[in-house]
Amino acid sequence: MKNSLLLASLLAVLAAGCSTTDINDPMGLNAPFPELESRTGDGSEVDLIGSSQGKELNQSALDELAAAAELADRSVYFDYDSFAIKSDFEGVISNHATFINKHDAAVVVYGNADYRGSHEYNLALGQKRAVAVKQALEALGVNGSAIETISFGEEHANQTCTGSTCGQDRRADIGYVGE
Amino acid sequence: MKQSFWKCFFLIWLVCISNASHALEVIEILGGKASQIPVAVIPFKDNNAQKSMQLMHEVITNDLNRSGLFSSIDISGVSDYPIDEREVNFSNWAALQSQFIVVGKIDAIGRSNSQMQVTWSLIDIYKEKTVLSVAIKGQPSQYRVIAHRIADTIYEKLTGSKGVFDTNIAFVKKLGKEKYSLFIADYDGHNPRAIVNSRYSIISPRWSPNGKKIAYVSFEKKKPVIYVQDIETGKRTLLANFRGNNSAPAWSPDSKKLAIVLTYSANSQIYTIDADGKNIKQLMRTRSINTEPAWSPNGKEIYFSSDRAGSAQIYKVDVDTNEVVRVTFEGNNNVSPSLSPDGKLLLFLNQDNGSYRVAIQNLLSNQMLKLTNGPDDESPIFSPNGHMVLFTYKDYGKVSKIGTVSINGLKMTPIDVGSETILESTWGPLSD
Repeated sequence: MKNSLLLASLLAVLAAGCSTTDINDPMGLNAPFPELESRTGDGSEVDLIGSSQGKELNQSALDELAAAAELADRSVYFDYDSFAIKSDFEGVISNHATFINKHDAAVVVYGNADYRGSHEYNLALGQKRAVAVKQALEALGVNGSAIETISFGEEHANQTCTGSTCGQDRRADIGYVGE
Repeated sequence: MKQSFWKCFFLIWLVCISNASHALEVIEILGGKASQIPVAVIPFKDNNAQKSMQLMHEVITNDLNRSGLFSSIDISGVSDYPIDEREVNFSNWAALQSQFIVVGKIDAIGRSNSQMQVTWSLIDIYKEKTVLSVAIKGQPSQYRVIAHRIADTIYEKLTGSKGVFDTNIAFVKKLGKEKYSLFIADYDGHNPRAIVNSRYSIISPRWSPNGKKIAYVSFEKKKPVIYVQDIETGKRTLLANFRGNNSAPAWSPDSKKLAIVLTYSANSQIYTIDADGKNIKQLMRTRSINTEPAWSPNGKEIYFSSDRAGSAQIYKVDVDTNEVVRVTFEGNNNVSPSLSPDGKLLLFLNQDNGSYRVAIQNLLSNQMLKLTNGPDDESPIFSPNGHMVLFTYKDYGKVSKIGTVSINGLKMTPIDVGSETILESTWGPLSD
């Protein structure tokens, strides 16, 4: 249940003693509105993905990532219209949190949705899934500034899925800058 | 013309029509076909010997039929093709129950007969008189545009509202595994031309109300970003590439600003930004999804979808006070809002039992009407006169197509743009 995960995350943040988020305001709703970096122009901008804090994986980290069986699984799957992280996936998140912390890695979480519904709403739903995984990683001590969230919505989904085959598309994937 | 046709009937969710020359508001429906004007469009006499001209009457007929306000009379058994009032046998046409007929002729004119002139008339059969008689000139290659303009003139004369038959639509096609294109075409799908080609998805194309630019979301930077492209020159600028996702561009009615959705601060939130990329302003900040902004025609409110109540519903926010009011209450969820040009109807997708369908809601009475059946109808947008809705749907083969449905619900007509799958579509404004 999302509530127990949220409670666990608050406790973990307290226990870890390191936090970039205010525990009373975990989503930063009351933070001063940050200066947004506006990028206008004709495609010459630097891609902002992965420009967070956190380091690009070096070769030995990449080798370790490739070799580790427990890191092969990158995906967290969700129920229809949901962004709640099911207990089945706590292991995936935990394994990656360990690796991320070890290497101070810069991470991108990609959110996805199945094709049903509008493209824009699915983009927002995919985003919520990516944010849920980010928050779960933060609860395990990962620095939030090292995690970027991007949504593809339904743009990578199987447009002809039916019933249970659509479950593949309702997912968030953990990616590393440098791979 | 029958005055009674324009009187307001009792249908609860619709607004009365004024008999003034101002734009028609909403057409009522009662008893289905009883409210369609029967019209016969006769092949124009072609003194020009250019075969394409012979199709003009078909273009006009298809336009009028598509609107849902006209029913075309079958003229296959008719051998009499009058070109003006003097040649019309009124009692024959009355017997076919055609209230109006459209007749005309095409002559070659100009230097070496390279131009053509179409002289046409709209004739009232019951009153036995000509309502309109017009001459139009053009190149033979422009026969479709001329036919659309004739249909517009007929439409405006008989309904009081501008016709949309000479407008454009835009749509995104997936042509292959890494091949997407944004096309602009005539509203009926003819003359498509690609204005953007990409290996990555393009969504949310939106025409500026002044007709000059089109905004869209592209995934070519491996994340969603918003471009604004000048339609005439093809030049584009990157409107928004903030950290996170940038999507859902919606032009303000005066084309000076856009509402957009950013995920800079975690979940999707709505902002406004000047068309030159300056002056960004956040409209709300909640823990929920807030997306799909759509301006009211008076520019004072922005409608949007949000899951703040647990499932996706449609709300509106006052642009000045930031006050939020919920607007939809029926069905499992409601997304993709937009407003009719007169601001009186909300257009959206209603999900019920897993099926997504196009629906409209009268914003005064809050009565809802489903216009289509689903199950995978998406991307609804009004025509510029508010009388039709363009939308995408999946046919049995599961490939997405586009079509229109009239807001009186009587007429759903596909638009043929080929067999590749359509992602999203939109309608351009009336040209001045």
